[in-house]
Amino acid sequence: MTRDELLEIIEAVLEKAEVPDVIASLSESRDAAVRFGQNRITQNMDTFERKLRITLGDGSRKTVYSTHRIDIDAVPDILEEAMEMLTTASPDPEYMPPVPAGQVYPVVDAWDSTTAEADPKERTEAAARAISTAKNNGMEASGLVGMSYENTAIGTSTGNLAYHRSTDAYMRLTLDRGKPSSFRFLSAEAWEDLPVDSAIREVAAEVESDEDQRELEPGEYRLIFEPQAAADLIPYIAWSMNARPADEGLTVFSGRQDEMVAGSNFTMTSEVNGLLKGTPFDGEGLASGDAVWIDGGRLVNQPCTRFWAQKTDREPLFIPGTLALEGGSESIEDIISGTPGRALLFRRFWYIRFVDQKELSLTGMTRDGVFLVEDGKIVHPVADFRWNWKPLELFSRIEKLGTPQRKGQISVPPMIIGPTVL
Amino acid sequence: MIDEMKNLATAIIGQLRHRGVDYGDARVENTDLESLTYRKQRLADSNFQVGRGVGIRVLVNGCWGFASCSGFDSGLVEKTVDRAVSIARSGAGVMEGSVILSDEAPAIGDYSGPCERNPFDIPRSEKLDLLAAAADIMHDSPLINMSWSNLRFERKRRVFSNTEGSLVSSDLVFSMPTIMAYAVLGDDMQNRGFQEGARIAGWEWIEQADMIFWAEKCREEAIMKVKAPEGPSGLMDLVLDGTHLSLTMHESVGHPTESDRVLGWEASMAGRTFLNIDDQEKLKYGSEIVNFIADNTLPYGVASWGWDDDGVPGQKWYTIKNGIFQQFGSVRETALLVNRKQSTGCCRAMDFASFPINRQPNFYLEPGKEPITPDDLISDVNKGIYIEGRGSFSIDQRRVNFQFGGDMFWEIRDGKKVQPLKKVIYRSKTRDFWGSCDGIADERSFRTMGLLTCGKGEPMQAARMTHGASTSRFRNIEVGRGTE
Repeated sequence: MTRDELLEIIEAVLEKAEVPDVIASLSESRDAAVRFGQNRITQNMDTFERKLRITLGDGSRKTVYSTHRIDIDAVPDILEEAMEMLTTASPDPEYMPPVPAGQVYPVVDAWDSTTAEADPKERTEAAARAISTAKNNGMEASGLVGMSYENTAIGTSTGNLAYHRSTDAYMRLTLDRGKPSSFRFLSAEAWEDLPVDSAIREVAAEVESDEDQRELEPGEYRLIFEPQAAADLIPYIAWSMNARPADEGLTVFSGRQDEMVAGSNFTMTSEVNGLLKGTPFDGEGLASGDAVWIDGGRLVNQPCTRFWAQKTDREPLFIPGTLALEGGSESIEDIISGTPGRALLFRRFWYIRFVDQKELSLTGMTRDGVFLVEDGKIVHPVADFRWNWKPLELFSRIEKLGTPQRKGQISVPPMIIGPTVL
Repeated sequence: MIDEMKNLATAIIGQLRHRGVDYGDARVENTDLESLTYRKQRLADSNFQVGRGVGIRVLVNGCWGFASCSGFDSGLVEKTVDRAVSIARSGAGVMEGSVILSDEAPAIGDYSGPCERNPFDIPRSEKLDLLAAAADIMHDSPLINMSWSNLRFERKRRVFSNTEGSLVSSDLVFSMPTIMAYAVLGDDMQNRGFQEGARIAGWEWIEQADMIFWAEKCREEAIMKVKAPEGPSGLMDLVLDGTHLSLTMHESVGHPTESDRVLGWEASMAGRTFLNIDDQEKLKYGSEIVNFIADNTLPYGVASWGWDDDGVPGQKWYTIKNGIFQQFGSVRETALLVNRKQSTGCCRAMDFASFPINRQPNFYLEPGKEPITPDDLISDVNKGIYIEGRGSFSIDQRRVNFQFGGDMFWEIRDGKKVQPLKKVIYRSKTRDFWGSCDGIADERSFRTMGLLTCGKGEPMQAARMTHGASTSRFRNIEVGRGTE
């Protein structure tokens, strides 16, 4: 659907709803992907969805109704069904009207027309090249190559109306030869920006270097995180940052606003239209903006709902879909060669879970490459092992940061963490 | 509704035959979902979703093509047929596929899951009154800083048809109550929740689950936990209840025995398995008393759909018998590749928009035949911990090295439960752990957990299955705080 067609349905919902408070959003999305494993294509998919979401409020109660029925003539019927939910809801002591008029939405340029057209030939050929490389090197290839788009329109009964569209091209690639393995996650708004062929070559070479793994010797090591490894830990910090649970004593950030929560070289931000492309509005139509969450190790802002912001005299804030850690200028190769003494290099983590949410302690496994590094040189690969860490404690001991890389919607640098007992 | 959906599926199959595909199937789905959530003593979310759409899968020259669309609009559906055929042909043009489906008899029929009282017919006021009462009970203590209570009802009507002559329908109602209380004391927070999850059942499951009882239990035990000492470290015995073991078996038995993992199809995401194809009917997986039964006919089991998304009927089989691994759960595409003639019926998609993949069935640890109670098991433990419910969980991609927490912990000393504990973590390896099982209580302590959110696949799909066990005992397991 075009922008105007989406907005026409939004405006019809706003016009026909017989309650004072209405938020309507309509999205159209397509995701086309090839999945491969065991050196063969196992899935070839092209999914298409349109979804209408309506929030109704009468000043004291509210309800949310969603449907795949997208038809301007059906809007009265849809509203009737949504109204039935509203009239049976309980009054909400935290009721908030829709966001006030005059929201200024940032312009986010996240669209690539070629990617949106999702030509299947590009995907299947990329998968075939990965499979061919694997076969030629006695390996197995598995992964996913895809292209997607999403168009979203949103409107509020207070007079806001907005539209945003974005594309995403991505490749997740694993090559392995039994235990030796390596992995790469590539993503960009445009398919042509994915370095598919160089990634396939690099991952194949990394599998070769992962042969003859040895068990980890207990002891003290510096930890070198490649960007993917650091990116795997960051969401757990973000999920713990919300202001209200912190104020209620439920998270590691309770009572720590404006305090040091990590090292002075740890700065975490969100950007809406930089290297990473965020969303210009949230599900309520609140305009997004760039934000600094942790500045030089100090917790300076926390995501906060509109109700809690009003109650605690803060500004409402949300993570606009992106997170970025500040870094330095060195490559991962420079980082490794400059690491003194004994260290472990980690490519990626797996199955990370909270062990204790209040402490923000995590457990997980290493995956797809751990290497012993001595005096700046990789000595040999190490077999995967389980770890139990507190990421904020680790990020309080960062000795060096390299050049950030994009990993999905997170931008992270490689880094060295100070000596750690394993 | 079902008749309309069958007509649509039949029309799609006609179009696929006309286009000359080697194989094709159509799934037509309509899902109503109601979710009511109290955060503390306030209705925080009142949500109703109507989901409907079509998923079409075809084989051309051994390559899959899958396309889906939301809604039942005939024009969109026809374009979706075109897209499915077109991308299958594009794959076949780039590289030769090798999909061979097991021979299965065409399925014809209609299945309705058990549902005595349709939850969508229960007045919403009755549901909200129950949630409000549960929330009030949980907050009847100043130490409870947070709580969640939720009622989730889903009616999924699905029709499957294929070019081999199958045409089946399923009408399934899923009901799930949730209760969780959080106690805060000083710098610590501990929570306790209802553990049995979802069932294919109606309002009767909500009544049976007894949210009022659980609200009080969760309040008291969350407080008990936050005041409790931290668990000890070292090798000791564990006595684990069925709601706890449901998750341990899911991770360490359910996933390793999926056929797509042994073939390497999940290598980039969910991972592989430590098992080999030749391990079937040979490998010692656990002690001789360990028997795991897979059962996609379990009446309230959330994977009991009548037929799977290959059109294969629900079945019952031993995954592990007398401690020996028997066979992988499979789909039509993997059955022959793991040396089986037919699928076990484990092919399921998250929804119409997802490509169906190999999923875990309902399965459970067979209860002991002798009359043994949990107290009998505890009485033979000098130093150990009794664990109820699910907590932290993590396992490596080959499903060997795992670490689990729990929801409620009791120290066992000299054959008795002596005090509550908190922050208990244990670690083991899959075959060592199941090999250490030396006691399984009889069916009187059998408990199940219906899970709706098992993540697997790329793009990620959430699947549902039910697990169960009677309380069981495991010897000499490594216990220790996770952060040590």
